[in-house]
Amino acid sequence: MSFFAFLGMQYDFQWSVLWTGERGQWLLQGILTTLRLSLTSWVIACALGILSGALRTVPWKPLRLLAAVYVEFFRNVPLLVWLFFWYFGVPQALPRAAQDWLNHHGPEFWSAVAGLSVYHGARISEVIRAGIQSVPKTLLEASVATGLSVLQAYRLIVVPIALRLIVPPATNESLNLLKNSSLALTIGVAELTFMTRQIETYTAKAFEALTAGTLIYLVLCLGIASIMGQVERRFRIPGLIARAGRAEH
Amino acid sequence: MRKIVSLLLGGLVILGLTAAGWAGETTLDKIGRTGVFTVGTRTSSPPFGYINKQNEWGGFSVDLARLVHKAIEKRLNKSIKFELKESTPATRIPLLSSGAVDLIAGTMTDTRPRRDSVDFSLTFFVTGAQFLVKEGSPIRGIQDIAGKRVGAQQGSTNERIIRERVPQAQLVVFPDQPAGFTALVQGRVDTYTNDGIQLYGLKYKAPNPNEWKIVGDFYSYEPYGMAMRKNDSDFRAVVNNALMEALEGGEYFKSYDKWFGPRSETPYPLSDTVKRFLMMQVVPK
Repeated sequence: MSFFAFLGMQYDFQWSVLWTGERGQWLLQGILTTLRLSLTSWVIACALGILSGALRTVPWKPLRLLAAVYVEFFRNVPLLVWLFFWYFGVPQALPRAAQDWLNHHGPEFWSAVAGLSVYHGARISEVIRAGIQSVPKTLLEASVATGLSVLQAYRLIVVPIALRLIVPPATNESLNLLKNSSLALTIGVAELTFMTRQIETYTAKAFEALTAGTLIYLVLCLGIASIMGQVERRFRIPGLIARAGRAEH
Repeated sequence: MRKIVSLLLGGLVILGLTAAGWAGETTLDKIGRTGVFTVGTRTSSPPFGYINKQNEWGGFSVDLARLVHKAIEKRLNKSIKFELKESTPATRIPLLSSGAVDLIAGTMTDTRPRRDSVDFSLTFFVTGAQFLVKEGSPIRGIQDIAGKRVGAQQGSTNERIIRERVPQAQLVVFPDQPAGFTALVQGRVDTYTNDGIQLYGLKYKAPNPNEWKIVGDFYSYEPYGMAMRKNDSDFRAVVNNALMEALEGGEYFKSYDKWFGPRSETPYPLSDTVKRFLMMQVVPK
């Protein structure tokens, strides 16, 4: 009998709907799609974010402006709108042959990847910029004074330090990306939330399906948080972010 | 970890308190106590429940729900407020179970698994799934969809039938009707499938209705019913009696003519078989 019985809820729980028949497989497929979608988008988003975050701090205005335009344009429009834009809008601009090709190679998934990575790239960019700007300017000047070029100073000194400083906010962004990937169901990507809704549709057991979804997201997010925690400890520079190491996050 | 556990427990307690608010109360008691009858319906499923070009929320299912509303007022002998709430295929059963709505009157097909979770009124509309295609498309029915990209609505019975009967079709499932139709218009999918009558609704709403046609025989049987919380037979009797009286007294057919008649936006003649079936559900007084 159910845990909710004492609350008087008129609902008969049947947790077995989550694994009987092909439904366990659906959930598994959903988890895999969510991970594939999030991971692909995360890699691209990080690349975009690091590039544009670094560009926003370089001592050359046109590049700073370019990066600022990218960030402000993409982070100030809701992700849902971007997903529709990439799925319904962008392919229209392509030639007919490219559209046909795309239609046979999972346009839903790749539109979702485009939407998530460009949107989160803009957000990660801000995190990176904050990290770089928290590295004292004198450090850049000192590096250049040792004979490094500005590009080398960025690549070898400034960005590596900044990346270590921003692990906690970057964890936050990564978790957001994973959770936001659930919006991809609006353009027909069969990810985890989609699959829980599918189970609900087939079995009319909404609470079980939603609970399963909630717990799986929780486990995935806690997993990522703990991996990022290990990354933080592993790459810590003694004396620089030692305080962050002690603080509860 | 302890923090997380206590947070979870806190959430459950809140959930429990909301649930306890209406625990053990029958739907009629609840409506009598709050003075409000809340109906869950659709906003984008013409002509059953939709917001029309004049921005009014109505439709055939909403009209029938209004008849139920009158019957409830008569039964409780007091004036009750009639409220509409948006409910999608994914949210309608949770909305009912949580007590947020008292009746679902939209485009919900009565199925056996759904009867495990909710109770259904008698059938108020009968349709079946078909395909919406662009004029000139090679698709003429379910026999032609293997290998094609087929759009469908999540939560619909037809999505499930396609999955089982034509696994070679590339099914693309959208959470709502407008997204599925946009995908068809933009060429992301080759055809969009749903209950025939809903496809007529989409065709009517399209910028160029003549570009679109509905093809194929019914490949599913979709009897629409109103859904309510399980094991509440008094309320169910009020709903069913209201529908029977509407069928018997002719209000049903007047409303049918308004939404599906030859002069309506979605003409959909009532066949003799369906009419006889509807009338045979009316039990004697």
